[in-house]
Amino acid sequence: MTICSGLKVVEIASDPAGEMAGRLLGQYGADLIKVEPPEGSPTRRIGPYAGGDASPNASLTYWYYNTCKRSVVLDLPTESASLDHLLTVADVLIVAASLSQQEHLGLDLEALAGKHPRLIVVSVTPFGRIGPWSRYETSDLVSLAAGGLLNSCGYDDHSIPPIRPAENQAYHVAASFALISIFLALITRTRSGSGQIIDLSVHDAVAVSPELANPYWFYPRALVHRQTCRHAQPTPTQPAIFPTLDGRYVYFTLILADAKPWQSLVEWMDSMGLAADLTEPEYGALSHRQANFPHIQQMLESFFLVQEAGSAYHEGQARGLPIAVINSPDDVLLDEHLLARRFFEDVTHRDHSSATYPGAPIRFSSHPYAGQVAAPDLGSTHVGDLLPPAPPAIGT
Amino acid sequence: MGVGSVATRLLADFGAEVIKIEDRARIDMPRRLPLYKDQVRSFGQEVSDPDPDRGGLFNNYSRNKLGVTINLRTREGRELAERLISVSSVVTENFAPGVMERWGFIYERLRELVPDVIYARMSGYGHSGPHQHYRSYGPVVQAASGLSYVAGLPGREPSGWGLSYMDNMAAYYNSAALLMAIWKRQSDGLGTEIDVAAVELGVTLLGPILLDVTVNGHTTRRPDYPTGNRLEHPNAAPHGVYPCAGEDRWVAIAVFDDSEWRRLVEAIGHPAWTDLDIFSSQDLRHAHQDELDEHLSLWTSRYDPIEAMELLEARGVKAGAVQNPQDLNERDPQLSMRGTFFEMDHPVIGPARFEGFPALMSGDHPDHWRSAPLVGEDNDYVFGEILGLSEQERAGLLDAGVI
Repeated sequence: MTICSGLKVVEIASDPAGEMAGRLLGQYGADLIKVEPPEGSPTRRIGPYAGGDASPNASLTYWYYNTCKRSVVLDLPTESASLDHLLTVADVLIVAASLSQQEHLGLDLEALAGKHPRLIVVSVTPFGRIGPWSRYETSDLVSLAAGGLLNSCGYDDHSIPPIRPAENQAYHVAASFALISIFLALITRTRSGSGQIIDLSVHDAVAVSPELANPYWFYPRALVHRQTCRHAQPTPTQPAIFPTLDGRYVYFTLILADAKPWQSLVEWMDSMGLAADLTEPEYGALSHRQANFPHIQQMLESFFLVQEAGSAYHEGQARGLPIAVINSPDDVLLDEHLLARRFFEDVTHRDHSSATYPGAPIRFSSHPYAGQVAAPDLGSTHVGDLLPPAPPAIGT
Repeated sequence: MGVGSVATRLLADFGAEVIKIEDRARIDMPRRLPLYKDQVRSFGQEVSDPDPDRGGLFNNYSRNKLGVTINLRTREGRELAERLISVSSVVTENFAPGVMERWGFIYERLRELVPDVIYARMSGYGHSGPHQHYRSYGPVVQAASGLSYVAGLPGREPSGWGLSYMDNMAAYYNSAALLMAIWKRQSDGLGTEIDVAAVELGVTLLGPILLDVTVNGHTTRRPDYPTGNRLEHPNAAPHGVYPCAGEDRWVAIAVFDDSEWRRLVEAIGHPAWTDLDIFSSQDLRHAHQDELDEHLSLWTSRYDPIEAMELLEARGVKAGAVQNPQDLNERDPQLSMRGTFFEMDHPVIGPARFEGFPALMSGDHPDHWRSAPLVGEDNDYVFGEILGLSEQERAGLLDAGVI
């Protein structure tokens, strides 16, 4: 028994927020029915495509977000009755679409919730179901901007605009809150017997997530300013990424005030004959380190430039320093730690080819993880096979 | 640091009695970081002897929780913690691997105390594997998991993240994991040990680009990757962040197809350049983004970012002001109407704002009943009322440095 086995979920999603939430539920064993329009979910038309074949069944964007699901085609609102049948046995309905898209599909969530009182309805919209911006449309970039996260990301050079952290992160943030609210509602339903409607806004999800930027405004009323690959801060701080011998980068921030990492660093540099004057006793004093910080940074630049990124990462960590190599996705697939933990899994596609996918981000000791099933072809499950048998006629 | 606190904050918001154990001798990092109401200090400029009750970040992370102090490095402290665990149903920790083991708080022991305990272990690298002891915080996780690499302009260093994105995301996934386990336990009565490694979660969030590598063998170690604010898939254009009136102010605009393009053209008053042949189809616009961006920037730079956003969105164009926290808190009419941010008073800090829950639920509502506890503020309630220790016993523990 997996941790979500027995949970029945119907997903109507036109963006990765709803699809990611559904995938995670499916990954943990929920029975996930993805309802798609006849032309397929919009993510089927987003590349890259497997082998470059731009067909709705070959989109890697769709594949990524839709493992562990069954695909049913319903032409809404024409086939609303079939959706209604599906919902009679469902625990959760995920609707991730803008308000106008929801209307276009004839989805009246209040009416559905009224008809299915145990159903938990999660509406994921760009800005929420109520409020002056509720009719606004969005994209990942637009949500990252409006929600404030983008304001912290980019380069030291402010003639360059803020730069988007890639790959649908606004939608990923929203998906995590979709999961949280679904389980809050399920826990409540165990006690109350009733479902509820959840009005989740992608905008709100991003707006509560820029980490330090909000507290910097709540407390000192300071605005943070973006810096290259390190925390946005009210005032500039030293660079934190260093190029290495092999053309890669390591991330390392030296906390000057802590004596122990300073000592470890100097020992490490000295072991390679590269500590120069940093071994001199006056560097034991914080004030001296602060006064000579530009010099220390220069020494660090030369120090990392003569090492390979991977060895600097492992040697630095062995010495207790919080340093990391900036891995590319290609590198991540070869990471010895992730391989030892058997994080990646092989997923077999319908043409019997297989590929490596990231595995389960949460491990429960009590419940086994069954692994992922490849994303379904469009409409590969027929709605008739899913409908509950007609109730027996009453009387004669 | 933030992961464990934010993960349990969500449970506290929704009514769980969350008891945070702190150590008087080793003050929690968010209590020491320099987020004060009257002083602007970047990280790295901490004051030398900070008042632990003044730290804004701790207030932010630990609202709605009870706070006690226990010195877990003493035998009496560990015994006291075991008594507290015995009357609890969930235990969470966010230490480097090995710390809880050293104190004897392993899952098997916790199960002896609470047979159906849920024990959530929130770490950077997880509790197995060759790098489990690596030191991590947000930026380290982001670098190691590939999330920093995929952000930036082509042909230069990554711009990565200006925040510990993975602290938040690991916290959210840990909240979800706890709720999943609690929900499951309601029906099958089973406890569980949860292991969330932030690095693995980071890889999970890498998105479809990972399959482009594993399915198509298309490397990301190439000079035209990553693509900054532009998209390779789908062929959106314009798709970027454009200058606005004011210093360092910007608006994001995203156009995915011909009908969105026509709405943009109309919204900006149909200037002549929009009729150029090089902008006459989505493919052509995607191929000529440099020229497109140059023209569009001339239009955006006349507007305040929120004005530009509202003007464009009112005409069906996807646009978002690059809002800063002041905009979010003082101008954004949507967040204001939905009450996403809220305020609570704190006895030392005074009134402070907080980030709330991003969904309005018809059946469940957060209960914001207090700001973060002062150091040891709830020792009497928790050790007295909940565990039944007498006043003398508590005084003895205090004198002995146990609480």
